Amino acid sequence: MTSLDPIQSTDTESGRVIRQMYEPLTHFPNGTTDVTNQLAEGYELSDDGLTYTFELKEGVQFHNGEEMTADDFVYSFRRLAESTNSERGNFIVGSPTFLNVSAEFDDEGGVVPESLAVEAVDDYTLEITLETQAPSALEILSYDAFSVVPEGIVGDIEGYDGEIDHSEFSSSEPVGTGPFEFETWESDAEAEVVRFDDYHGSVANVDAVHWQIIEDDEAQYTYAIEGNADIFELPTAQYESSLVDAETDDRGREIGTYGPMENGETVDYVGAPQLSTYYFAFNVPSVPRPVRQAIAYVMNRETLIQTLFEGRGQEAYTFTPSAMWPGGNDAYEDFIADYPYSRDEADRESAREVLEEAGYTEDDPYELTLTTYESDVFQEAGRELRDQLSGLGVELSLEQSPFATLIERGESGDLEFYSLGWTWSWPDLGYGLFGFEPENTDTSRMPEETNGYYLDWHQADTDAVEKAQSAWERASSNSDPEDEDVRNEAYIEMEEAVWDDAVCLPLYHDLQELFYYDHVDIEPFGAMGEYFQVYNDVTLDE
Amino acid sequence: MSRWRYLLRRVLLSIPVIVFGLTITFVIVRMGPIDPVSAILGPEAGAAQRTRIEERLGLNQPLWEQYIDFMTDMLVPWSFDLGQSWVIQPGTDVTALLSSYAPRTLWLGFWSILIPIFVGIPLGFYAGLNSNSWGDYLASFGGIVWRAMPNFWLAIMLLAFLRLSDKFLFGFRWDTFIVEIDSLVGQPPLDFIAVTDWVSLGIISIPVGIYFSATTFLASFKQILPAAIVLGSSLMGNELRISRTAVLETINSNYVETAKAKGLRSRVIVWKHVFRNALIPLVPVITNEAFVLIGGSVIVEVIFGINGLGYLFYQGAIQGDFPLVSSLMFIFILVIVSINILQDFLYTILDPRVGYQ
Repeated sequence: MTSLDPIQSTDTESGRVIRQMYEPLTHFPNGTTDVTNQLAEGYELSDDGLTYTFELKEGVQFHNGEEMTADDFVYSFRRLAESTNSERGNFIVGSPTFLNVSAEFDDEGGVVPESLAVEAVDDYTLEITLETQAPSALEILSYDAFSVVPEGIVGDIEGYDGEIDHSEFSSSEPVGTGPFEFETWESDAEAEVVRFDDYHGSVANVDAVHWQIIEDDEAQYTYAIEGNADIFELPTAQYESSLVDAETDDRGREIGTYGPMENGETVDYVGAPQLSTYYFAFNVPSVPRPVRQAIAYVMNRETLIQTLFEGRGQEAYTFTPSAMWPGGNDAYEDFIADYPYSRDEADRESAREVLEEAGYTEDDPYELTLTTYESDVFQEAGRELRDQLSGLGVELSLEQSPFATLIERGESGDLEFYSLGWTWSWPDLGYGLFGFEPENTDTSRMPEETNGYYLDWHQADTDAVEKAQSAWERASSNSDPEDEDVRNEAYIEMEEAVWDDAVCLPLYHDLQELFYYDHVDIEPFGAMGEYFQVYNDVTLDE
Repeated sequence: MSRWRYLLRRVLLSIPVIVFGLTITFVIVRMGPIDPVSAILGPEAGAAQRTRIEERLGLNQPLWEQYIDFMTDMLVPWSFDLGQSWVIQPGTDVTALLSSYAPRTLWLGFWSILIPIFVGIPLGFYAGLNSNSWGDYLASFGGIVWRAMPNFWLAIMLLAFLRLSDKFLFGFRWDTFIVEIDSLVGQPPLDFIAVTDWVSLGIISIPVGIYFSATTFLASFKQILPAAIVLGSSLMGNELRISRTAVLETINSNYVETAKAKGLRSRVIVWKHVFRNALIPLVPVITNEAFVLIGGSVIVEVIFGINGLGYLFYQGAIQGDFPLVSSLMFIFILVIVSINILQDFLYTILDPRVGYQ
């Protein structure tokens, strides 16, 4: 944990505690992918798609007894943009990827005080004017950096003297509107928040939430197995996939039980695939299509995930994680039923056929180098692929390179076959698929003009390239929040094009798993991550 | 040269050592490959964000100016300032961080030095005085085994053993033995002693009321014991081996023979002569171990969930938290230098033959 100031913290550990104490306009309940209102009651969007008018919830109290008004939001957003303590300033100004609220800038790129286009129309109406359209505005506003704090609490922006020092605010006197208020935080030891009885929503059932801060796997395991924690994670060394007894729900989560553990207890289990994808990809002009397809044929994701992480990952067939697939898990399952290569076995025969057709044989093989960053996981996966390809006409060699070097080489188009990962900050398909727009994969214009994945796909002359390019253009010309269906349809076409040309082979999505002792009654968390879950609806039955 | 002049000279000579140590720290941390701004921002941030943070931290100043500022903050008494953490807990005073992490490490270090001294040295003396007996073989072999067991392995084994103590020891439960503790891992409760009342005499405050809780003290000791044993295990093996050799060497020397011939009782020989002379080689061994007291051991601290100074230093170093790392380095250097002076000073007391030149 680093800081309890929402605009200063950048790590999930602090975020977990901050979310119990602070609230933004919108949120993802229990970390599922459906954004809903939190402190906002509703909103209107102007015709040009640039001005959001939020109606705020009335009668919301801060932990210090003051009532929340739109002025508090103006102050909080100004801190995010202007304060020197803000480490998330780009979330609100100056970056079209995020919210990009209108503002004036001084010569050094700082925001001119009070120039930020966030206004309190009256006590319960907040108006935000953007510089560019942001289809994901509601999702972005759910970041904890956009949480409301009482106006004038710290004097780190012009016009305020501050009631308390910033260092006190960020470590021992945080004040928010959330269902829990601050009790204690001792660095690298523990943190605790207690129930806030005047909470505007459903007041918490539990008296307090306590976090024990433990770095080491062995120590975490000991603490959990002794029964000191109600909710815990299990380190892979102590985890056995055969002890999981779970069923898949409509969000693609595994829900069930785990056990018996070392102490004889069987605990509740939730495993939720997260919004991240780890993948292999090719530089298209330097690797012929049959070779790419052959590798797609021999890749057996299930075995890989089992050997690499004891089954703690979810097989990835599409780049877009299943947890945010339009239409839910069933639609996703239908879609991947048509996966053109082999799904859960290494199909060496089909691989041999495509390679022979293209003239590559064991005696005259195609030589290919796989570059991974310094990761045991991808090296092991690479060795597995090399073994599966041996004798088929592709000779794969492996090399590792530091992350920064890998990126640099990627941007200069110097990677034949490489591995990387992508994490979604909010559930929007375009947030990940932008990198497959063929024109955007042009490495000769990177990193200034293009920022896609290192594919050089635009140089290929296939139907799939055209399909992907036109689908992306269709999606980006329909940026109105209402046209989500049109965009999603286009994005799915892009996924098909990626399959056809086998330019990218997704390997796995992160699977986050939590374990709960029997007396804990809690909603399962979703794909955004367990740290989005606020514990006011949890009950303990001991 | 008198003893006191010698001491003064040593103290003065340590000043360039400290300056050099701080300079090296500055060079390694500030000119090394770790970038604190990236550590703070993560991969999602833009360039404007970087500039602002650099400005806030003063990283946009020329390097030599940063160096001068740093050295004056550390060395000039009237502008002494350890600064605020950059990355670990941005904006928090380093002194505040130290006061929350240091007690844990000191408590662990204290016991992991004391336990080996009171186990290792007596065993070594016993082995030396009864050399080549079965008792000696057992003690020496045990010492080698303790010395050889890696800390991280021993720590994990001890945790697993104590966690399942009722299975291994027929119902004996470690967690409820004598005093009950919540968990095997985590920080020991250090609030067993507190000053409740102060009386001021002029400008000096004297504590008059002291609160002490024996139960909390015991719980605190029990909580730290497994970690202290693991951390002290190799020290104990060391001390055992060295004290055994030292005793053997002294006991076979001519003056002991003379003393025996003179008819001195063996109790007097051992306690008055052998013991004192055998301590000489042990002094540097023990004082060098004192570094454990402040630096701790990252691995043992982490496995037992104690997260003390060693862990803080490690985290600060890999994330480029310069004020934190340099303050800790400053303290480590001060402690090592003063322990070295103390060690040489102790030599002169134990063995008057050691000269001052």
